[in-house]
Amino acid sequence: MKRRAFLKNTVATGAAVVAANAGLLTPTTVLADWNKTAFSAKKTDDALNSLFGSANATESSDIKLKAPAIAENGAVTPVTVDATSLDGVESIAILASKNPQPLVCQYSFAAGALGYVSTRIKMGETMNVMTVVKAGGKLFKAQQEVKVTIGGCGG
Amino acid sequence: MSIKIRMRGKSKGGIAEVKALIKHPMESGVRMNKKTGKPYPAKYIDMVEVMVNGTKVVDAQWSGAVSANPYVAVKVKANSGDEVALSVTDNTGEKGSSSITLK
Repeated sequence: MKRRAFLKNTVATGAAVVAANAGLLTPTTVLADWNKTAFSAKKTDDALNSLFGSANATESSDIKLKAPAIAENGAVTPVTVDATSLDGVESIAILASKNPQPLVCQYSFAAGALGYVSTRIKMGETMNVMTVVKAGGKLFKAQQEVKVTIGGCGG
Repeated sequence: MSIKIRMRGKSKGGIAEVKALIKHPMESGVRMNKKTGKPYPAKYIDMVEVMVNGTKVVDAQWSGAVSANPYVAVKVKANSGDEVALSVTDNTGEKGSSSITLK
């Protein structure tokens, strides 16, 4: 009897989840893969939990995070993450701790790519730039403070 | 109108660094229009894909916090003569893609 009830419940919840997902998809968001929860999270930990299922990342010196110590213009802060010395890099995420939504971008890698990303991000004020790398099923992180003299979010 | 992308890449010892410049406003939806007091509507690239000879190797998701006219560089395993393609989609559904043959 218990098993019956359990199965019934799981099926019901499963259907509810599917329905909820379908409801969230407005016509503009055809791209179902885009992780809305992670990108709209207001705290770095929430974003990481939604992205990787955990916010526990160990500091690693194998990740080379290159960002300027002082960014004159926060709207274009060059950030380079080089995690090629780690084996089996699956994903790299870049976060700006004090931005309204900290998660800036997240890259997933297949076998044909190396754990390396270089891009430019917007930063509103002086804050830490953090990168979280998922390699071999584990989470690693590196961070650096960037001083911003002119903010890049808002006018 | 599709999104314009300029790409460059060179293979060295089986590894190629592919660089791309994308022409896009990357409007986050937070910036205020001072005249009207309302924010500019969000328009930013949220999905980026890199393919080597038709196989997807990098799949990225972006928020509006990536700078305007984004620059992106990745490293892929590819030899000279291989085709590397980059395609992007923004939150309004506008698309753009570009490809190069590695030197």
